[in-house]
Amino acid sequence: MKVATLLRKIFLIDLLKGLRVTFKYQHPKEIYTEQYPLERPVIAERYRGLPRMNVNPETGETLCISCDLCAKACPEHLIVVESERDPVTKRKVLKNYTFDVSRCMFCGLCEEACSTDALELSQDYEIALYGRENLILDLKRLESGPDTTEYTR
Amino acid sequence: MFNQLTGYLSNTTQTPGEAANYTWALIYILIVFAGVSGFVILMNWGERKLLAHFQIRLGPMRVGPHGLLQPIADAVKLLTKEDIIPDGADKTIFWMAPVWVVLTGFTTLIVVPFGPTHAVTDMNIGILYMLGISSLGVLGIIMAGWASNSHYPLLGSLRSSAQMVSYEVAMGLAIVSAIMMTSFTAGWDGAGTLSMVKIVEAQKLQGTWFIFKFFPLGFIAFAIFAIALIAETNRAPFDLPEAESELVAGFHTEYSGLRWSLFMLAEYAGMFAVSSIAATLWLGGWLRPFPNWLAGPTWDLAFAVFPGVLVILVGVAAFYNAAKMPKLAALKPQTIGLWVLGAIVLLLGVFLASPPVAHRISDIEWFVLKVGLFMYLYVWYRATFPRYRFDQLMKVGWKVLLPIALGVLIVTGIVGLTPDLAAWAKGAR
Amino acid sequence: MKDTMLETNRDFYGEEWGEHGPTVLDASELILNMGPQHPSTHGVLRVILKLDGEKVLGTECVIGYLHRGVEKIGENRTYTQFAPYVDRMDYVAAVSNGLGYCQAVETLINVEAPPRAQYIRVILAELQRIASHQVWLGTHALDIGAMTPLFYTFRDREEILKVFEKYCGARLTTHAFRIGGCQYDTYEGFEKEVKKLCDFMEPKFGEYEELLTTNRIWVERTKGVGILNGDDCKALGVTGPVLRAAGVKWDLRKAQPYAAYSKMDFEIPTGENGDTYDRYMVRIKELHQSLRIVRQAVDTLPDGPIMAKVPKVLKPPVGEIYHSIEAPKGELGYFIVSDGSLQPYRMRIRPPSFVNLQALDKMVRGMLVADVVAVIGTLDIVLGEVDR
Repeated sequence: MKVATLLRKIFLIDLLKGLRVTFKYQHPKEIYTEQYPLERPVIAERYRGLPRMNVNPETGETLCISCDLCAKACPEHLIVVESERDPVTKRKVLKNYTFDVSRCMFCGLCEEACSTDALELSQDYEIALYGRENLILDLKRLESGPDTTEYTR
Repeated sequence: MFNQLTGYLSNTTQTPGEAANYTWALIYILIVFAGVSGFVILMNWGERKLLAHFQIRLGPMRVGPHGLLQPIADAVKLLTKEDIIPDGADKTIFWMAPVWVVLTGFTTLIVVPFGPTHAVTDMNIGILYMLGISSLGVLGIIMAGWASNSHYPLLGSLRSSAQMVSYEVAMGLAIVSAIMMTSFTAGWDGAGTLSMVKIVEAQKLQGTWFIFKFFPLGFIAFAIFAIALIAETNRAPFDLPEAESELVAGFHTEYSGLRWSLFMLAEYAGMFAVSSIAATLWLGGWLRPFPNWLAGPTWDLAFAVFPGVLVILVGVAAFYNAAKMPKLAALKPQTIGLWVLGAIVLLLGVFLASPPVAHRISDIEWFVLKVGLFMYLYVWYRATFPRYRFDQLMKVGWKVLLPIALGVLIVTGIVGLTPDLAAWAKGAR
Repeated sequence: MKDTMLETNRDFYGEEWGEHGPTVLDASELILNMGPQHPSTHGVLRVILKLDGEKVLGTECVIGYLHRGVEKIGENRTYTQFAPYVDRMDYVAAVSNGLGYCQAVETLINVEAPPRAQYIRVILAELQRIASHQVWLGTHALDIGAMTPLFYTFRDREEILKVFEKYCGARLTTHAFRIGGCQYDTYEGFEKEVKKLCDFMEPKFGEYEELLTTNRIWVERTKGVGILNGDDCKALGVTGPVLRAAGVKWDLRKAQPYAAYSKMDFEIPTGENGDTYDRYMVRIKELHQSLRIVRQAVDTLPDGPIMAKVPKVLKPPVGEIYHSIEAPKGELGYFIVSDGSLQPYRMRIRPPSFVNLQALDKMVRGMLVADVVAVIGTLDIVLGEVDR
């Protein structure tokens, strides 16, 4: 055994083994770089991205029933639900909905708390902005959904 | 005048320096300078791309097709940077240090033999000259560390110079054993030579590259030199003085902009110079491989054409990559650029591979190929190995390489002289 | 910041460690500041070194550059609302943080997660252990000079993060578990994908070993560096792979089993000398053992509910609980004091990196400056955890 280790030391076998590993990875099929923005990543369905408010596809009305559970569930208290009671049907009607993305952790507690399918965290991850004023999203913005800019160069 | 110029080219048996042909010597100097500078630029791009491929990523892709214009962008950035000189720095020595290192780095290239007559000059002490001038380069590093007036660059430069000096000892001994092998040429009457061109001619006359002579002695000497090479040029795994994740940053910390780029230029030129020593002494310089086994005019032609064929393959690879580029409007200039580059390289390859040119130029091409092999090894080592701690580095240099080099030297001498000793013993009987 | 080493008359040289009196502060000593900005990727840690030439005489760590007041935040959030904050402490191993917290609260309210949830927790926690050790390996090798293992380990870790993304929606700050079980059931094709992941990973671990384990440069840089023997570990409270490399066979997954670990068959790798090389070997072996656990858990995943019956408005009984798990870096403990209201009275977290960092001084005395970086790397600290 001692002779074998001595031979291995003299012939630098350990260094050659390392060299072989790095050599093998030169093959172009091993390259893992995604050239963004030419190639975009595949996002999972459950991805917690930018929030959006869903509307009824037939009538176009919001699905939110102003139950305020999302605002209560949020750890950062950044959802404000303004509603008023409709005197005829005695139900709450959503007036305004504000979501402050600047402090949002994307934890998903609001999405879980929502009793209808109204609030969900979409797969939108390209949410970088130039100014902070656009970070407080109102109902219109939340309903319109992702708004990615297409770059040509 | 034109006849005078071409007259030299057509019937020449000497390098311009030997023939005292000043105009051609000047032209050769300019060609070598331009060539090595171009090589440095190529090496900058090549190192980044190659390192990236070892690390399963792509490297520069945006600046020019596949990042080919990246070195130019880097050069422009460095040239337009603010020139900062530290407050208490010694101004004269501060600007002199990078100039010194570049000077010594490029002056060694005078005797590099690209072919039997394709060197600027062929001094009869060529190897000694190259070693001496490289040692002078260490002074530039010490000057850089001292002039920065900050104790981290000073410590880094002292470490770096100590490392370079220690490994020069092992380098020198390995070189001496190779030179000793030149003296075993039959018909040379026991006289070895220090001249670079004659060392390669000795390998030609002996019919074997020195790496294979007296196997494994030549190989061990080559291995020692190959390891000392890396330590000499401060590259991984011996790059502690210029490592990023260490406390003490290197000697070129306080240098920015053009001065720093001069240090990088000198580093790559130094890599080229010591690789060319290795290629000359052990790998047969400009000689093509297998001169005995695959002999004959057809094989000669094949080997002469081979480097040109490699260039043609590079052109074809450029075409292939250009065809694979994504079809976007934004990438149109890059795609066109790559097609044009591929066409130029293809034409160049066809020109180099055509037999009349190939026969004249193939020496230079084979030499550059061998040096390129060393460059690839440099980048490969950088990608693979962790770095040595400074005391372990010195231990390897003094306690491991030096005794082995001494042993190889002595044994080479004994083995080489054995036929003479036997003949003398027989004659004396 | 006040330079505490020079301006207090605290006995810096540690008589309790057996050194006799302070050395005279003469000119040959150099105080070097390894500042908060590091080339190595461990976070914002400031280490003040006292050097004699190249030898280290003493160190002092200054932390707090990443303090975010997580424990104070915990006093102002309900138990469900605090769970996302916990991921951000040890951001490299978020799932383990979440597991520890959820189990602590479950013990407080005396609820047990159903078996299927426990198996899912084990699978994700072990995958997270592999990912955390891969980050450690990449950055540790980078500190020592080998730059390629970083890319290989991060590339392999991508596959694990893809599984996390498909399962819970985020790669890094996963918020994977809820109090009482798991919110999400496994997605379509989870078992097949995890099995494929395991088959993909196994040869990669062999490659890491080929690059480093027998490499003479690596061995010289790590053998005999930063030795911490078992008694010192126990005295300092160091846990995790550091403790196991010193020869002490202590792993909370076997000693105080939680989740479904009592049903899993795996070994606890230990080392002998307690030097950097042994810690490296222990973590590499742990990688293999984690893979073994994941395979077993995926094969024996039971059916059933994934969430126990937990009231929507969580008001635990008055009391306190300390619950700890074996996070990739050591023993991660949660001490929760409840006063019967919606929000905890005190939320104290015992981070493994914080306690392990105390061993830095002991390990680095007498070593060279170049070894300090290696030792910080081998302790596997994450500043998010140290500072909270």
